[in-house]
Amino acid sequence: MNIVTNFLKVPYRAGAIVLSIGTLLVILIAAVITLPGFLAPENLSNLLAQSTVLVISALGQTFVILTGGLDVSVGSIISVTTTIMTLDLPEVVRVFLCIAVAVAFGLANGYGVARLNVHPIIMTLATMGIGQGLALIILPIPGGRVPDWLSASVAGSVGPVPNSLFWLIAASLAAAWLLYRRPFGLYLFASGGNDFNARMNGVPVERTVIKAYVLSALFACAAGMFLAGRLASGDPKGGATFGIESVTAAALGGVHLAGGIGSILGTVVGAAILGIVNNVMNLANVSAFLQSVVKGLLLLALVVSQRRKTIGL
Amino acid sequence: MTTSETKHETPPRALNARRAVSWVLGLPPAYYVLAILIAVAPLVSATLINPNYWFVILKQSAPLGIAVLAQSLVMRVRSIDLSVSGVFAFAIYFASSGFLKNYPPYVTVLMPIVVGLAVGLVNGVLVAYVRASAVISTLSVSAILIGVVQYMSAGRAPGSTPSWLRVLTNGNIHGLSYSVIVWLGVTVLVSLAFRYLIVGRYFRAVGDNPRAAETTGIPLARTIFVSHTLAGFLTGIAALVQVSALAVGTIKPGFDTFMNALAATILGGVTFGVDRGGVAGPFVAVVAFSFLFAMLTVFGIQEPGKLIVQGGIIALAAIIYGARTGRV
Repeated sequence: MNIVTNFLKVPYRAGAIVLSIGTLLVILIAAVITLPGFLAPENLSNLLAQSTVLVISALGQTFVILTGGLDVSVGSIISVTTTIMTLDLPEVVRVFLCIAVAVAFGLANGYGVARLNVHPIIMTLATMGIGQGLALIILPIPGGRVPDWLSASVAGSVGPVPNSLFWLIAASLAAAWLLYRRPFGLYLFASGGNDFNARMNGVPVERTVIKAYVLSALFACAAGMFLAGRLASGDPKGGATFGIESVTAAALGGVHLAGGIGSILGTVVGAAILGIVNNVMNLANVSAFLQSVVKGLLLLALVVSQRRKTIGL
Repeated sequence: MTTSETKHETPPRALNARRAVSWVLGLPPAYYVLAILIAVAPLVSATLINPNYWFVILKQSAPLGIAVLAQSLVMRVRSIDLSVSGVFAFAIYFASSGFLKNYPPYVTVLMPIVVGLAVGLVNGVLVAYVRASAVISTLSVSAILIGVVQYMSAGRAPGSTPSWLRVLTNGNIHGLSYSVIVWLGVTVLVSLAFRYLIVGRYFRAVGDNPRAAETTGIPLARTIFVSHTLAGFLTGIAALVQVSALAVGTIKPGFDTFMNALAATILGGVTFGVDRGGVAGPFVAVVAFSFLFAMLTVFGIQEPGKLIVQGGIIALAAIIYGARTGRV
């Protein structure tokens, strides 16, 4: 129960979450009033399925952003996961291989950033290229077949509740537990807020940063599994857009890219805004090509409204 | 014997040798990569050491080279510009879609530069004065530009680029393409500006320590604004050169432009706030990258292998630099 309560709390370090929730409500109300089909069960189920990959990857991204970093390799890890799930190996081995690859990428990113002093964008850009190359070697073109249980766990439903909602809730609760119920969460906020002060107060900053990157990779792995289940096949470039979109979702949810400020609820709200905007524009028959413009303007408006103390990245 | 006397007695030749070794070790990784590639090239293929082949490589590298110069300007002041792909997409579409065919040729030439400059100004205002995140704001601007292009083209490829504009890439002086001459000219101009104008010192001071720079009276916001504006202007020139290199327009210039620009900037010794490569470092890095990809093609290595090699080089360069300088 505490996890749920904490999930809904809006502490000062949650950032401009009220603005994000307000934006989401405005979009939701406008959609419900103007689009009769918006609340149809099929549409809501479709909306959930479309948004789940983004929500899960953005939750992992939040850990990294809270440290003041950025993980653009998320998309490649999603792609690699979908391709590994189509390999001609025992199903358990495929799952373990996905997790092992994700942990390896996370460790490489974390070690590079925390111990070898490489800038997060540069380090994760490098692993992004390596991951994308790896995905294309495993599966040069989209195709293959994923285990049936994976497709069923994504596409099915329990009564009227689609399975994707369970994925979404499980990922959100896991992230909330890590952030609000474990010392790691506190260390994360401390490291991102001021790493020098955190170190002086005994916070293992380097270990915390490495853990954040490993968690980001593991969440990306989970997102990749969901995507593979949804497509029922692998796609070597299927995750390409999520590296940047996960950052966008987190930023829309009030997570500060400078680190130390953000929340799980904010990230979920940010991803929901992106998902609903896409869905609303599809329902309203807005050109798919205009969606990029609308999303860009929305992001710009929200970022402009969150004036920071620092200038730069 | 005092310590100072001991130092005084060190032979000048030994000192010079130590300085030389220190200078060589301090060079950005791009120089090592290029030296290794040049050393290996004769063993791989005789074509790779043909001067004409080098002219082709330089010609193909020109748009990326100017884009790298632009990226290095913003990275020097601890910022980033992710709108490169957007500017390229916009410029290529409008130059190849026939929108400007009723206007004088100079409009087509100026269009990419004006677009780049306008984008640079918007980025500069957002990052320096509104204090929005450079990653998010420049990414949003790029998404808007690409969205506008895709909407206007309805997803269809545009027509061909003006044939007269292709002279910028195809024309040459003693084998050296005009586009390479533009690239070299811009590089020299930026280098001179850094060497002799106060703005160069401002860039270095802001990159080294923004807070200290601001405390000592350097206009922090204005310096970052200028860096973004100049970067936009240079990206516009890069887009013009790219348009001249294409026979047929495209609406998907790709994320590769940005990826390669960032990779080459890092390899050239310019990272967030670290400016050890000067203007020559990124230049050498672009040549090294183009040569490396040409060599990989000779070996028959396809896109996946190239991506892995590119990622590996970025990581290695950044790790070596991080170990040497403390932060990359």
